[in-house]
Amino acid sequence: MSAAFSIISPSRLEARLESDLVTVVDVREEREYEELGHIPGAVSVPADRFRDPSSVADGELPAPGEFATLLSEAGIDRTDDLVAYGDDGGPLAARFLLTAAVYGHEGSLFLVDGGLDAWLADADRSHATASPSPAPTDYEATLRDDAPLIDREGVEAAVEGDAVVVDTRTAAEYEQSRIPGAVHLEWTDLLADGRLRGEDALEDLLAERGITRDERIVLYCNTARRLSHTFVTLRHLGYEAVEFYEGSLTDWVRAEAPEWDPVELQAQVRHYAANGGFEAMVDDLGEDVLGRLKLIGLYHQKQRGYFMLRTRAPGGRLTAEQARTIGEVANEFARAPAEYGGPEQNPVFGDGYLDATTRQDIQMHWIEIADIAEIWDRYDAVGLSTMQACGNSVRNVVGCPAAGLDPDETVDIEPVVERVSQRFLGDRHYANLPRKFKVSVTGCCEDCARSGIQDLGLTPARKDGREGFVARVGGGLSDGPRVASDIDLFVEPEQVDDLVAALADLFIDHGSYLDTAVNRLRFLVAEFGPEKFREELESYADFAFEEPDETLTMDYRGDHVGVHEQADGRSYVGLNVPTGRMGGDEFAELSELANDLGDGEVRLTPNQNILVPHLANDDLAALLEEPLLERYSPDPGPFTRGIVTCTGREFCNYGIIETKNRAIRWARELDDWAEEAGIADDHEAIRVHMSGCSASCAQPQLGDFGLRGEVYRDDYDSGRAADLGLGGDLGNDEFIDWLVGKIPIDDVPAVVKATMCAYDADSEAGESFTEWTRHTSNADLREIITERPARDAPAIGTEVS
Amino acid sequence: MSGTDPSKATNVPKPGVPREGVKGVGEDPREQDRDAAEAPGKIWFRDLDEAVIEADRCIQCASCVAACPSDSIGIDEDEGRPTLVKMCTGCSRCWDFCPRSGLRYERHLELTREERGLEQPATYAARADDTAAEAGQDGGVVTALLAELIEAGELDGAVVAREREDEPLRGEAVLATSREDLLEAGGSIYNQTMGLGKIDELLAEADLETDDPDLALVGTPCMVQGATALDRYDHEPADPIALTVALMCTRSFEHDRLLARLESFDVDPEAVDGLDISDGTLRAVDADGDALLEADVDAFDAAGLRGCDECADFVGEAADISVGSVGSPDGSTTAVVRTEAGESAWNRAASALETTAIDSPDALEGLAEWNRRRAESILPRAFDREGSIGITYEHHREAYDGTDREPEPLNPARVHQYEEWC
Ligand SMILES: Cc1cc2nc3c(=O)[nH]c(=O)nc-3n(C[C@H](O)[C@H](O)[C@H](O)COP(=O)(O)OP(=O)(O)OC[C@H]3O[C@@H](n4cnc5c(N)ncnc54)[C@H](O)[C@@H]3O)c2cc1C
Ligand code: SF4
Ligand code: SF4
Ligand code: SF4
Repeated sequence: MSAAFSIISPSRLEARLESDLVTVVDVREEREYEELGHIPGAVSVPADRFRDPSSVADGELPAPGEFATLLSEAGIDRTDDLVAYGDDGGPLAARFLLTAAVYGHEGSLFLVDGGLDAWLADADRSHATASPSPAPTDYEATLRDDAPLIDREGVEAAVEGDAVVVDTRTAAEYEQSRIPGAVHLEWTDLLADGRLRGEDALEDLLAERGITRDERIVLYCNTARRLSHTFVTLRHLGYEAVEFYEGSLTDWVRAEAPEWDPVELQAQVRHYAANGGFEAMVDDLGEDVLGRLKLIGLYHQKQRGYFMLRTRAPGGRLTAEQARTIGEVANEFARAPAEYGGPEQNPVFGDGYLDATTRQDIQMHWIEIADIAEIWDRYDAVGLSTMQACGNSVRNVVGCPAAGLDPDETVDIEPVVERVSQRFLGDRHYANLPRKFKVSVTGCCEDCARSGIQDLGLTPARKDGREGFVARVGGGLSDGPRVASDIDLFVEPEQVDDLVAALADLFIDHGSYLDTAVNRLRFLVAEFGPEKFREELESYADFAFEEPDETLTMDYRGDHVGVHEQADGRSYVGLNVPTGRMGGDEFAELSELANDLGDGEVRLTPNQNILVPHLANDDLAALLEEPLLERYSPDPGPFTRGIVTCTGREFCNYGIIETKNRAIRWARELDDWAEEAGIADDHEAIRVHMSGCSASCAQPQLGDFGLRGEVYRDDYDSGRAADLGLGGDLGNDEFIDWLVGKIPIDDVPAVVKATMCAYDADSEAGESFTEWTRHTSNADLREIITERPARDAPAIGTEVS
Repeated sequence: MSGTDPSKATNVPKPGVPREGVKGVGEDPREQDRDAAEAPGKIWFRDLDEAVIEADRCIQCASCVAACPSDSIGIDEDEGRPTLVKMCTGCSRCWDFCPRSGLRYERHLELTREERGLEQPATYAARADDTAAEAGQDGGVVTALLAELIEAGELDGAVVAREREDEPLRGEAVLATSREDLLEAGGSIYNQTMGLGKIDELLAEADLETDDPDLALVGTPCMVQGATALDRYDHEPADPIALTVALMCTRSFEHDRLLARLESFDVDPEAVDGLDISDGTLRAVDADGDALLEADVDAFDAAGLRGCDECADFVGEAADISVGSVGSPDGSTTAVVRTEAGESAWNRAASALETTAIDSPDALEGLAEWNRRRAESILPRAFDREGSIGITYEHHREAYDGTDREPEPLNPARVHQYEEWC
């Protein structure tokens, strides 16, 4: 490209201004240009006019016509020498020059070193407020054939070795993710005190990174802004072969990079199972492979070299054979090595156990890479998968666990769940969404698949006599909980997988791949607003949107514990699995029972419980006699029934408190107390949801009591603690408010008791716990909670405390 | 109790009074549109970030890095400041141990004095033998002391500072395990190294024979505050620290700005072999020991860490041993031995040092007193040696809002939140 780039000092600019040889362009906001003043004679071409600020994801170049109009209005001719400045240290002004060059500007292009600040640093200079009113020109912009733009394939080739790829972002961003093989040169490295460094220093910096005049150089950042500054600087220094990747990292990450292909990844891991295991894998593929393994259901535990394996059960359904396989695998492979306690690793569960989760998955720990191929072989034989159980993909589809059983059901969701699962399983495109993507489908009228906390939640609805679903979008618990919005959209069962695809496509296009803090779908829903979101979604769908005539959800069901009649007259039994944890051998045993007594099916519920369906009367009686049901009872005490926890400190890097054993201990103690206090029969379930930290894995926002791990400290001691909130109720779209922080952990049972007593004494007849918490003021609730007995000194520093 | 919708909240924000359930000063998109109110007193890294780091008050002591139980805080290599590298669970520990926010450091100093201080701290003027004195900043006392202790098997190593190879005058934390290492690391580095936050990493690289090493930690008083505070609560990161040595300090510097200042005096930073600040004068010397610059240290004010203005702990009261130049002749180090651990280390190394007791350390106390008065005049909150050790977010906001040290909104692009489990 022919236009010459240079960086010009404010004093040289001053000299040139006097001879009126250049057009000066101010890229700040128009308001700043007008109100705060500008370099005398400058015209305003605000950056938000030649970049699209609303989107971090799209390409940044404006359409040539728009750019031409902009320059024409500013009175610029193609042959003018242009000097650009801003107040952001350079990138936006550089961006302007780059854009002009790409569209064929012929005059020379200058960037003001240090921008407006540097100009103003000299007290003799000042702002002007008088704006020139230039006569429009007939500026023409066409993309140059030899514009230094490079596309994804070009970058791939560059990565293969025919160019130096340069990351111009911060070191932290570079550490987080980068194009493989890129060297790091933050754009500000070229500056000292906001001004361009001396030429020798610059040459050293560049040479150290292998950036030389003989090499082709490819620049990228996130949004093609920062790279512009580096581009201009390199051209100023006389580097000719400089190109830039307009799509930048955003595009790179989004594209179907081979290392993010779940199928490919699984094949790689299988290879290491037989060839060197964990260490060889990490040596060859780098530590960051550990992050990608989530895509195939493997989470690296805090104990190095060991993984949590998550197995998905779409809609919670497992055949008895699948369940037996899972139980056997857990029993055999989910075993802690001696250094972590071996057979006594857990005081309550010993070893070889598994966890049922709130999303109808099964998790087990201590899995080693060396064993994984064997496990997958066994899974393949019975049709199980761990793929996309985690990671930024369409996760396990949650379904009403009583689907096909419930007498009031309107739509059988099984085929729907199956179709959605199959459509996205192993699909490389959808395996790499900006963030995780959760879908649930409910066929009964009791929303037992919790539509309110899903990215897409479907509940039954009718339209012109047709049965289908109404969609809610953008719910979720972590990072600022939000109840999903109803977008008044009716879909037929056959359209559901298309809807999920449309939503995923929208998410891919609009979601940010980089700011992981704010990229759950719900931020898009909040940004667009439900109506606009619906419109946008419709443009992605290949069917016309309709509104439902009537929605059928009447109520919200917390769990399925107990014996229930099925539509066909047989029964299903919901077994309570406190905290979802169960021995692998027990799970296998249960699957045998389901095989012998039921129809060979086991279901997982979103409460970490298990359901055995299709029991004729005799079989039901036989099942209820089984000793296994003493521990996993269909008729547990209210606290045991209501307890939900996440993994906690035992295995989780983040967990601050141990959850599972503690919860089981508490539930027993509290049930005994409830019995003594005479309140046990008043409550089916008292739902204590405990998360090990403030991530929401145990869904504390939905509990009667929501707890999340914390620490506390006073002048002399510190210890583990919990934040407490009361009265979550998904049936009424209520999340708890966090009422009190940092309750020393051992005080929690006493607080629960005091609260239950207060409810017992204060509530009006027939008032539910949630209703009571809602009509009692937060101040009063706080007082109930904090009037607690003196605590014992906390135990600190123990391994699992 | 309904979900809190900030837009419907009736209580309009007042300075210093954070609204219930709505925290922080920046526009964290996660905080908008949330349907559950936050717990009172809940603190996230973001709050620390806004109140300390974005507010340009961070003194780079790395206490937060060491304190975080999930290792969520890393060090931004360029800025030398803490930055979030993984999901924050909101446990508040970083805040609790940050001497610029949740840790009332003066209370901590008082408590450590009560709990660990000798009846009568001893002050000496000391000088090591020639090699150590040559390598050291003043009397080479730290270098010699640590070398003796390592050679005697009392310590397995010491976390000290060395000039980086790639940038003039910029220090980095290193683990010295021999006399040679220490000689190489002798002399003062006038910027922070975040050594307290790097102990794990340094140990992993060092391959020591023992799994349960005893280390000395050398650093500015603020770093020693963080280290000893973690130790008071038996927190794991302090486990390897067996001895703390504080370098008496009125301020530390921001590396980039220090270089820029030097350049403004036409001094080429590459040519500077050593810096020294004493008696209000900053001296830069070249490799031959010739002075390149002697200037009033006030001229370097703008290069100092702004958070240092709030520091009243010139001597490093929490340390087992504190060292400085004030009050001793050129070529000697003033050392204050304050605890039993310090005393036994000092005695062990005595044969390598020429020492004279200083009975009334007037110069030292004078400077400490001046420093304390200055800090108290700048510190927006009350300086209270008897107050409770923890400072809540709300109290911090009450004291700091409306001052030029108030929290600054976080730049969300700086926060990379990773998610792991759910
Ligand atoms: C930022 C700073 C400001 C200071 N201000 C004063 C002052 O105002 N008045 C005063 O009397 N004394 C001050 N000192 C202390 C003084 O400069 C000497 O460090 C002290 O007298 C010890 O000298 P020495 O010869 O015995 O130590 P040496 O034998 O030189 O040993 C010093 C040890 O400290 C380590 N070290 C040096 N700098 C750092 C650092 N930044 N972080 C961690 N470790 C480090 C070195 O690696 C070495 O191991 C300051 C020191 C620093 C680092
Ligand atoms: S998790 Fe780490 S960063 Fe977050 S509050 Fe706790 S200590 Fe601070
Ligand atoms: S002052 Fe220390 S503890 Fe506080 S933020 Fe800075 S490095 Fe962390
Ligand atoms: S003056 Fe205080 S805060 Fe600053 S570096 Fe020294 S000890 Fe730390």
